Amino acid sequence: MQKFVVVALNSLLTAGLYATMSYGLAVIYGVMRIINLAHAGLMMLAAYATWALNDRFALDPFLSMVVVAPAFFLIGMGLYATVIRFLPRSSTGPSMQSLLLLFGLWLVLQNLAYAIWGGDTQSILTPYTMESVRFLGGRYGVPQILVFGVSIVSLVGLNLVLRRTFLGKAIRAVTQNRDAAMLSGVNAGQIAAVAFGIGTAFAAMAGSMLSTLYAFTPDFGRSFLLKAFCIIVLGGMESFTGVAVGALVLAFVENFASAYTSIPVSFQDAISFTLLVVVLVAAPGGLPGLWRMLDRRVVAR
Amino acid sequence: MGVLRRHPALVPGLLFAAALLLAPALAERGTLNDLWNMAFFVVLAAAWNLLGGFAGQVSLGYSAFVGIGAYSTVLLANAGWSPWLTLPVGALLSAAFSVVVGLPTFRLRGPYFTIATIGVGEAVRVIASGLDFTGGSSGVRMPPATFDFNSNYYAMVGLALATLALVAWLQQNAFGLALESIRQDIDGAEALGVNSTRVKLEAHAISSALVAVAGSLYAINFQYISPGSIFDFRLSLTIVLMPIVGGMGTLAGPVIGAMLFSYLQIKLLASPALRDSYLFIYGGLLIVVMLFEPRGIMGLWERLWSRLPRRRSPAIAEARGAG
Repeated sequence: MQKFVVVALNSLLTAGLYATMSYGLAVIYGVMRIINLAHAGLMMLAAYATWALNDRFALDPFLSMVVVAPAFFLIGMGLYATVIRFLPRSSTGPSMQSLLLLFGLWLVLQNLAYAIWGGDTQSILTPYTMESVRFLGGRYGVPQILVFGVSIVSLVGLNLVLRRTFLGKAIRAVTQNRDAAMLSGVNAGQIAAVAFGIGTAFAAMAGSMLSTLYAFTPDFGRSFLLKAFCIIVLGGMESFTGVAVGALVLAFVENFASAYTSIPVSFQDAISFTLLVVVLVAAPGGLPGLWRMLDRRVVAR
Repeated sequence: MGVLRRHPALVPGLLFAAALLLAPALAERGTLNDLWNMAFFVVLAAAWNLLGGFAGQVSLGYSAFVGIGAYSTVLLANAGWSPWLTLPVGALLSAAFSVVVGLPTFRLRGPYFTIATIGVGEAVRVIASGLDFTGGSSGVRMPPATFDFNSNYYAMVGLALATLALVAWLQQNAFGLALESIRQDIDGAEALGVNSTRVKLEAHAISSALVAVAGSLYAINFQYISPGSIFDFRLSLTIVLMPIVGGMGTLAGPVIGAMLFSYLQIKLLASPALRDSYLFIYGGLLIVVMLFEPRGIMGLWERLWSRLPRRRSPAIAEARGAG
């Protein structure tokens, strides 16, 4: 029981990070029907930016998010204006062309990091990196707890923006039905630019937080991108509640699989990839789709 | 010579093949190495193109098949097999694995399939680095004295030519038509009686077997493999980039792409400044191709060709003159 509580709390802490990491992908997918493969490159770049700020100005990685996130919001808008905007729109689903283009963008970002910072492994050490807190018989690292806190704050903030402001309502409208939103006077192109900026800013926040937990190189982020993708597929691609649930599911599966089975730690990443393939195949609609399907079966009886 | 008149593209192809096969008698070892490298890339690109280009199923996990071929060869050779006998084993294992991977993932469409294949490729690499019998992340070495460059050269060039011949034959076959129909409209193809899953599985198996043989020859040539070299994501990436830049779904596209990339690779490895910017070049190429000409060099060629002012044939000129 003791072990169960510890593993469950650890999963919860991981889930916060996972959710932040995935919201950016979900916002961009919702508004533009694009799978942003460059997400991984943006997370990596933000990790380096955080590291550079810490290295030069001894700025705390969590405080540096105040600078990094808005900066990446602008970078995202810039990317939209220079590259993404020219992609042909597809209404049915993400096109192969957009996927490969963003993949190319990811490679360019990787090379940028190699050129600026070299290929050495970097990590951020703060006074509290090794600190931990005792709670209900388990020990939890201070960085993990801070990451969880920041994640919750940012997610609540995003949710408030999406539900209470005109901009947020416009983003949700375009996500639900682009044509209807445009008929109601929403400038869909502008909304797409803002959504790409928000998605990039969330990638940046996730990157800053990841830099406090893991060491990184310019190749960093691929496994996290796959995890984020697994989460938004689980969550049904568009629903924001779905993303939170998907993050919880993945975090619990990963943590419990490595705590209760003999799967070695080195295979932990393979768990999420396997889960991704299983979910894509068995429940392409994600958990909401599965729920609807079960619901329908029950009603049919 | 009627065949040549009906298929004019055969002439440069046959001349090129003859030049490649005669090269060992004339060229130096350095040039032969470059040609070997080019043939290796041609096999990978042309085989990938069968599924990725003709059928439009873009897979980013092909390094898994290169790795299966390479590991089968090295592990069996260490168990006392003759390296040449291991080639069919690697090919069969790879084809079998392609079916295992294909059965679930071919239910996905377009980008979802692509992302699932990234997952499969990563999972294979992670598992190969973690297992004991593969030597873990430090890799494995071939037993000594199993290497003869000339025979390996002929095998690789022969494999490349055979791959191209096979693809050309399949392309004008009912099988090629089925692949093309899947790319254009999978539901339409199904409605017309194409068993799309079966066709995709067959194309996947053929191309992964070819790629595995290339992986085996790679292992024999370099005598040492590790997950970092053979299951590298960069290899998967190069395999995809060559046909995309050359022109997906054409016979010549992957060959052009492979020649371009082997040339680029030789240049990149030779100059330290460029070696650090290969991702930039690859990524930039991908962005430019996707924005301006998704059909690659072949598409660009077709576009320029159709714009070219050309002499009309006498018959047409006469008809116009009369009209």
